[in-house]
Amino acid sequence: MHDNDGIMKEIARALRAHRPPVSASFDERVMSAVRRLPPHSRFRLWSRLTTPRTVTVIPLSWGLLAASVALFAVIGVARAFDDVQIATKPMITALFPNARAPQPPQRVQFVLVAPDAKKVAVVGDFNGWDADHASYQAQHRGGGVWSVTAPVPVGHHRYSFVVDDSLWVADPTAPRVVDNDFGVANSAMVVQEQK
Amino acid sequence: MEGSSDGVIVARVLRGDVDAFRVLVNRYRDKYARYAFHMLGNREDAEEALQDAFTRAYRSLARCEDPERFGAWLFRILVNRCRTLGARRGRRARTFVVDEGAILEAAEDHPAERNAWREEIDRGLQQLRADQREAFLLKYVEDMGYDEMSQLTGVGVSALKMRVMRACDRLRELLSEVHSA
Repeated sequence: MHDNDGIMKEIARALRAHRPPVSASFDERVMSAVRRLPPHSRFRLWSRLTTPRTVTVIPLSWGLLAASVALFAVIGVARAFDDVQIATKPMITALFPNARAPQPPQRVQFVLVAPDAKKVAVVGDFNGWDADHASYQAQHRGGGVWSVTAPVPVGHHRYSFVVDDSLWVADPTAPRVVDNDFGVANSAMVVQEQK
Repeated sequence: MEGSSDGVIVARVLRGDVDAFRVLVNRYRDKYARYAFHMLGNREDAEEALQDAFTRAYRSLARCEDPERFGAWLFRILVNRCRTLGARRGRRARTFVVDEGAILEAAEDHPAERNAWREEIDRGLQQLRADQREAFLLKYVEDMGYDEMSQLTGVGVSALKMRVMRACDRLRELLSEVHSA
């Protein structure tokens, strides 16, 4: 009869050594599923601006002509834009009497009590879930209380605190919404315009 | 690109290079297939959970807090997918099916007795409660500490210790006889 620890070691060893084969088509299945999703575009504009490309230098006459065309186009577009604005303003006012200018972000105070924390940040759909975003780093106010007041656009939002860059903590004072991708609860809030 | 760090590859994918994601699939596929297989008990479900985890990881990639630790983040998603799929499978009362491909593959490297022993372990694992099986695999097979397991699963350390202990007791009970034979 083997001792109990010996059995557990044997079991663990056998399970670790076991490498179940994955279907040969697995990678392609994943990539097909991924390609059906919208592509990421977080840095696409930046990428376009920074991607090296070949530029052909046009002789001076062509350059002058192009510059002239561009100048007239800019002046023309600017004037046309002014005209359109002047012409459509009464129309928009008549059609949408309650139409208002875009609402500015509101200042929201986030507070978390975390006595053992070394760092607390707020992440949410309003800052791209970026725990390093400078405007959303909470400051220690003493007694384990961390807070930050930061701009948040008007509307419905999900957010969470990130403690010490690793632990996600939902706001204990706010309603929670379970994120199905990760099984963790984020907090929910509605930001309204101050009147 | 094969030798690039996870962070470099994640950045490429976020810039719109979809094909770069294949490197991450290739890097973590086999490693995590083991956990999914042991958790769910058959290759079909394991591959479904794994594919689902990769797809969800891609969709939420911009939310990966630490791209250099993409693998750990992916594993967290996989653990959740295995829970969901396991619960669904439990509801349809599926019986445990031994993966024939795995047995054939294993038989090339190991004597028949060793293979039979692994089959018994697989059967024993599937008789554990899902939460105990999860805790046991994370502790003994993935070699995680209790704090790490707690962060990953959202379950307290003492509850995890209890689950591991009960899983060990049950496996000893189920496998002692086979092992000593």
